[in-house]
Amino acid sequence: MKKKSFIWYTLLIVLIIAVAGGFYAYKEFNRKAKSMSEEQAAFRLTQAELLNEFSANEKAATEKFADKVLEVTGVVKLVDTDDKGFATVVLGDSGSLSSVRCSIDSTQTQTTASLQPNTKITIKGICTGYNADELGLGSDVILNRCVLLKS
Amino acid sequence: MKTILLLLCITLSAAAVTAQSKYYTKSGKIYFDATSPKSPENVNAVNKSVICVLDSKTGNLQFSVLMKGFEFERALMQEHFNENYVESNKFPKGEFKGVISNNGAVNYAKDGVYPVKVSGKLTIHGETKAIETNGTLTVKNGKVTATAEFVVTIADYKITVPQLVADKVAKTATIKVDCMLDVLKQ
Repeated sequence: MKKKSFIWYTLLIVLIIAVAGGFYAYKEFNRKAKSMSEEQAAFRLTQAELLNEFSANEKAATEKFADKVLEVTGVVKLVDTDDKGFATVVLGDSGSLSSVRCSIDSTQTQTTASLQPNTKITIKGICTGYNADELGLGSDVILNRCVLLKS
Repeated sequence: MKTILLLLCITLSAAAVTAQSKYYTKSGKIYFDATSPKSPENVNAVNKSVICVLDSKTGNLQFSVLMKGFEFERALMQEHFNENYVESNKFPKGEFKGVISNNGAVNYAKDGVYPVKVSGKLTIHGETKAIETNGTLTVKNGKVTATAEFVVTIADYKITVPQLVADKVAKTATIKVDCMLDVLKQ
């Protein structure tokens, strides 16, 4: 009698683990990228500070910032909106070719549509790296899935 | 002395013309799709920060893209893409350097849709392969939109797909390019 209930308990536990595991696998498989508004920023800095770190040492800065959530404050140089409605907010000095380019999350493009150049804003996004100036177009730090925090 | 001055003027004006002949964008799009024909799972992503430079004089065409900038719908897929497949920490950039072979047929000063042939070298995952594709240049109001669609074999770029998901990821990936280029003012 005792042996039988032991087997049942074992089976039950195995079953629970299997269901939990399956549920976890399912959740993990369907996991969406977290909304940027809910993400905690790993670094808060200005556009100039970020650009300086990358231009001083691209490798070290890439290791430090790539894949991290950054909150970057800077002045809007321009808002680049294309025919499909995708928007990129460019932060930087109008006198310099280099900037921090923030690709706006496709659900958030209405928040940046009315942004005017020379406005100081803070943007949160995930850093994907640095394009050093190879073509005479200036160097850029790229942020992805960005949301506008305040203007 | 006069000849030298004249020559100098010609060289300078030629340089000015060349400077006018470049088109570029830093927010081009590249779509990538490796959905297996038999699988219901969509394996696709978009990158919205593509750099593209086109020299209308020579037909030279160049693309550069940060691999970490590809956005997938599923976070797990994006992590696998970066960590296991393209190894974006080791190989942060994808690049194409090529030339429009029928550049003479494109009139950049006149609105229109021009079919083009492009050949060049594509570098992904540190591997460089020669590719050739057909594309379209659309000239409208001084802007040039470059579009192309081509197929690459994933194994060519030494990207190995684990056996476990081999039926979920296609052997080839379709790459779609869509870049709206502005005149480069210098």
